[in-house]
Amino acid sequence: MSSTVLEPPRGVRRWVGLALSLVVLLATWSVVAAADLVEPHYLTPSPLQVWDAFIRANSHHAVGGGIDRVVRGEENYFLWEHLVVSLRRIGLGLLFGVLVGVPLGLLMGSVRWVGDLVGPYVDFLRSLPPLAYIGFLVAWFGIYDTSKVWLLFLAAFPPITLATINGVRGVRQDQLNAARSLGASGLQLTTAVTLPATLPDILSGLRVAVGFAWTTVVAAELVNGLPGIGGLAYLSGTQNKIALSVACILVIGLTAIALDAVIRTIEKLVVPWRGKA
Amino acid sequence: MSKGITVAGLGHEFRARGGAVPALEGIDLDIAPGEFVTLAGPSGCGKTTLLRLVAGFAAPTSGTITVGDVPVAGPGPDRGVVFQQPTLYPWLDVRRNVALGPKLRGVGKAQRLATAGRYLELVGLSDAADRRPYELSGGMQQRAQIARVLAGDPEVVLMDEPYGALDALTRERLQNELLSLWRASGKTILFITHSVDEAVFLGSRVLVMSPRPGRIVFDEFVPFSADADLAPEEIRALPKFAEVAGRVREAISH
Repeated sequence: MSSTVLEPPRGVRRWVGLALSLVVLLATWSVVAAADLVEPHYLTPSPLQVWDAFIRANSHHAVGGGIDRVVRGEENYFLWEHLVVSLRRIGLGLLFGVLVGVPLGLLMGSVRWVGDLVGPYVDFLRSLPPLAYIGFLVAWFGIYDTSKVWLLFLAAFPPITLATINGVRGVRQDQLNAARSLGASGLQLTTAVTLPATLPDILSGLRVAVGFAWTTVVAAELVNGLPGIGGLAYLSGTQNKIALSVACILVIGLTAIALDAVIRTIEKLVVPWRGKA
Repeated sequence: MSKGITVAGLGHEFRARGGAVPALEGIDLDIAPGEFVTLAGPSGCGKTTLLRLVAGFAAPTSGTITVGDVPVAGPGPDRGVVFQQPTLYPWLDVRRNVALGPKLRGVGKAQRLATAGRYLELVGLSDAADRRPYELSGGMQQRAQIARVLAGDPEVVLMDEPYGALDALTRERLQNELLSLWRASGKTILFITHSVDEAVFLGSRVLVMSPRPGRIVFDEFVPFSADADLAPEEIRALPKFAEVAGRVREAISH
């Protein structure tokens, strides 16, 4: 932690570096877009055109092309509404993933024969790309949100379960013994020691699951995904609205980074002892 | 009220590659209520194994262990355990760590926090009550662990080299505190150590174990620690202290 008067602290230098690299990136992008290397030229929108598409997608705007009609955002939803719908899907998928994955992981980690019995099935589910069963899920649950939430649940719960098992098996034996010597029953042992001791691993698993669910939701929205940010990114591409498609891509990427930052903040608040004890 | 510990015909083997390794053999031991028994011996002699069997963390291969009139069949709140590595929970502050025993017994929140406060005061940790365990020094962590065990109000206290990892000065201070605690509470204590001086200073009775298989080869009552007229600092300076320590040392190296 050495910072002198001449040298700005590390955090500041990092942000300055990031801002500079962003400027260089945008400048290069503008030059390439203006050079019209690719024909037709709407295939290489400039940063400003992408920004315009982003604003249009978040407001009431004229259809253009000489037609005197005002529409709401894109496909009748603002872009942020498309994003919220996608986030709601992964939120539900993750919620069910935690509700099933954590108790299952605790059980599989604490009771050896359950772990041995169920383990291969969880491993099997985890090794499948979730999109492999979207067709099956649509057949079972229809083409609306239910099948998508099921898909995200199936994508999210294996990493959460496996991280929980890992955490349970890593609990120090003496931490369990200490509680038993203080009179803890089997159930109390789980709630008072195993669960809190496993919390850091559960949150790691959740972080993996969020990344997994996010990539999956964008792909899953290729089919009947509107409203949905992944659906919009796909549709706009097929309609040659490249600027809008790029705007969606940027929103998808930035949202993923923001989600990860949110979980890391939660980690700091909920498991402040991580790496210290 | 404290209870005694009775160990009869105790033997224990560890399964290893190439057959069973005997860890303990033919241990017979009667610890009276209120006794402070220190058990010394070289590393690997089985003293920790003996303590863990009394705690109920493992079942012995042969023989029986009884605490009060109850045969040991697993861990229980009648036997508090102070571990060498403190097992305080980092998700609880120090006060809630100490209040855990009463909490598990279903004591109400206000009452168990008051109990915890009392025991923290007893070990001189009132100021650290709101901190997390990892914010404490090693010595303070051991004090907190002892407070947690005492707050559970066990019949006997089992201590497994609790001061082994501390620096000499801290260790001496904690030994003095423990002696005062024992004199005031009259708890039955079984204390494992590899330090001869610690064993002679704390114990009203000193045992020595020999290794492979573990056997008790020395068993002597020591008058210092129970003598309330002797201040802790005075004990170490007694000529008789050095004499007993010499005998214990000889028993260990024999």
